[in-house]
Amino acid sequence: MDQGQPEICEIEERAATGQERSDRELVAEVLRKDRKATAEFVARCADSVYGYVRHRLIPRTDLVDDLVQEIFLAAWENLDRFRGDSPLRNWLLGIARHKVEDHYRKRLRELPLEDEEERLENSPSDVPDLEETLAKRQAGQWTREILSSLPETYSVILLWRYWEKRSLREIAVQTGRTEKAIERLLARARQQFKKRWNERQASK
Amino acid sequence: MSDKHQSESDNRWFELLALQEHEEADQEGAPSRLKARVYSALLKKQEASGPLRTLAETRTNGYGLCFFEDLWEQVTSAEGAQSYNCCSVCHARVLAERLERPPIYWAHCPYVAFGKK
Repeated sequence: MDQGQPEICEIEERAATGQERSDRELVAEVLRKDRKATAEFVARCADSVYGYVRHRLIPRTDLVDDLVQEIFLAAWENLDRFRGDSPLRNWLLGIARHKVEDHYRKRLRELPLEDEEERLENSPSDVPDLEETLAKRQAGQWTREILSSLPETYSVILLWRYWEKRSLREIAVQTGRTEKAIERLLARARQQFKKRWNERQASK
Repeated sequence: MSDKHQSESDNRWFELLALQEHEEADQEGAPSRLKARVYSALLKKQEASGPLRTLAETRTNGYGLCFFEDLWEQVTSAEGAQSYNCCSVCHARVLAERLERPPIYWAHCPYVAFGKK
């Protein structure tokens, strides 16, 4: 054992001395199958990928770990295509986006969209005021909790439309549904979300 | 309020909500056991397509080796042994994949590094 080595890992050591490898250097080492560089690759990018996936898979947080691993394995398969034009984290998030959309597509194809019990009601037309009533952090927490409590199709359509910023047409094409069906689903999802939001606000 | 107006107003509200919630996503760290699991899966995948870089090359490349890797490098002489992923038979890996911040304290062990914030 090398007793003279400081009790600090390479990643921290390099960061502390400002000698962190550039993304391109790191990728080159990973492509040569350097195990420590591979560890640095995971340490450098896992937080971003995890944060993104965790927030996009609500309410299926049970799938987060598997998807994060799948993203890294897909990244390894395509790592030779990384050119360093953007940060490595962003490149990985690009892969993550594709994987998340694959998940949305699969779920909306599998799950029934029409719920006879849940027709559009004459519901609250006013949208709640975000700025005045809630601190940002609380708004984020409410959002996640409400998304978790909604039927999965509702969470998926809201996340896909507003978080991933996909148009109704794009979602319709990807899921093989009509645009009208997607629009109706989105309207019901919005309505349920707002209803639950207003209930919380009323009891606050 | 007309349906169209309602829908536009809803859209703006949800877009704002998404924006606010999105900002929080980056602030969460991945669990150390997940990093450990991903790392193990990557090494397994790398090994499947040919040998890993040898421990000597890794050391030359500026990375330190952990106690076990160091020992492995010294005592193994068989062809291919230097490229073997010795973490696959190490207890640190097993602990790290199952426990959050596992009780492992070896210097230069990647599984220890994953637990550090």
